[in-house]
Amino acid sequence: MVTWQVSPYEAVTISAGVVALLLVVVTALYYSLKSRTTRISDVYLSGEPESVVSQLSVGVAALYWGFMKRFARVVFSTLTTRVHTGSLHDWYKFISSWFSLLLLISIVVFTVFLVIGD
Amino acid sequence: MWELLLLLTSTLIFPGLLFTISLALFTQYIVRKLAARFQSRMGPSYVGPFGVLQPFYDFWKLLRVKEVVKTRFSMVRAAEIFLILGIAFPIAALIFLPISPLKVNCEFDVLIFFYMASVMPLIAVTMASMAMPGPYTTMGVSRLLSMATLAEPAFFASIVIPVYLATRSGEALFMSLSGYVNVPTAWGSIPTAIIMILCFIAFIVSLQAKAMYQPFNIPEAEQEIIAGFETEFSGPLLALMRLLHDVDLAVSILLGVYVFFGGPLPFRHLSIGGILLLVLKYLVLVVIVTLVRSVMGRYRIDQALVQLFKYSLVPALVAVILTLLL
Repeated sequence: MVTWQVSPYEAVTISAGVVALLLVVVTALYYSLKSRTTRISDVYLSGEPESVVSQLSVGVAALYWGFMKRFARVVFSTLTTRVHTGSLHDWYKFISSWFSLLLLISIVVFTVFLVIGD
Repeated sequence: MWELLLLLTSTLIFPGLLFTISLALFTQYIVRKLAARFQSRMGPSYVGPFGVLQPFYDFWKLLRVKEVVKTRFSMVRAAEIFLILGIAFPIAALIFLPISPLKVNCEFDVLIFFYMASVMPLIAVTMASMAMPGPYTTMGVSRLLSMATLAEPAFFASIVIPVYLATRSGEALFMSLSGYVNVPTAWGSIPTAIIMILCFIAFIVSLQAKAMYQPFNIPEAEQEIIAGFETEFSGPLLALMRLLHDVDLAVSILLGVYVFFGGPLPFRHLSIGGILLLVLKYLVLVVIVTLVRSVMGRYRIDQALVQLFKYSLVPALVAVILTLLL
């Protein structure tokens, strides 16, 4: 058993070298052993034609809303019931309450800085 | 010169390429056989003694015999490169584990290990899947990444905290995996033992999600989204994908053996007792993972995320807070 006690930078360099070596060996083994037969087919859509999907990948917005609605439901309901109620008055109340809080924090921080600062 | 030869041996033979692939395929055999016995089936039985060579035979058949089926959108070469990268990284990370004849140790090596053995395989699977696009693939990848947003931080915390507890006394390199010798002291006092238990729960649950075993197998939910992120993989590509999954699982379990159970302790590595204990501890973790896989059904993605949050992220966060209070 041999131990190389090195700095983190050297450790990263050594591990990168080991990855490179493994990459070469595994790639050589893979390409020398793998079967060469290839078949071209249509995208698998449970028997449906490609025209049933307009896009091959789900839109980013769809993923975002899926996540928000399913997992971050509390955040979503807060947003819809308290912020985006459709009433400008609600929106103003919500934003101004947060703005007031930020203003209050900034005043406290400023005062503390004046008192304990030089 | 001698040390370079040792590094080469550690990379390519033990615990490198040859050993890790053998261990990964053996782990797959144990998981399949145990899961089959739990469900009153035979499991792998015909190839090799007690069917132990079945995973290797399956891999070989996919690699040598089966054809690659591709569509006009497929980037087969890109998928191959990403999958090979995903296999190379966790195997290379093993030089940081004390099992390696040539150990590379440094402060914070657990972080390098985590990036190589946990983050890189996930990125590799994601990129390889997106290189073979399809609606089911995209669905599977989005589910995989949704789960990873919760499972990866929990897995990270569950590994880092025990290493911190084992190395904070200053007897070993700080945040180094070489501190496994102090793991028994972390189990020795009640406050740190509670933290270790919380980390172990977070480790098992997040490992289940990382391995995509039940109840967190929604990214490759069979019969619902065909095979999820691996729907478009076939032949040699599927062989690489399966191998990457098994290597990732084997390396994660081996990490758990050192971080939670202290590797071969109380024996040394190069002793009969040490080797037997190491194998026993590894098998115990494999049995726990397989047991959870066999007795649970599949969660929907929203259920899976909530359960992951409850049983992996919350214990991990509580463990972080308790560790800060120590």
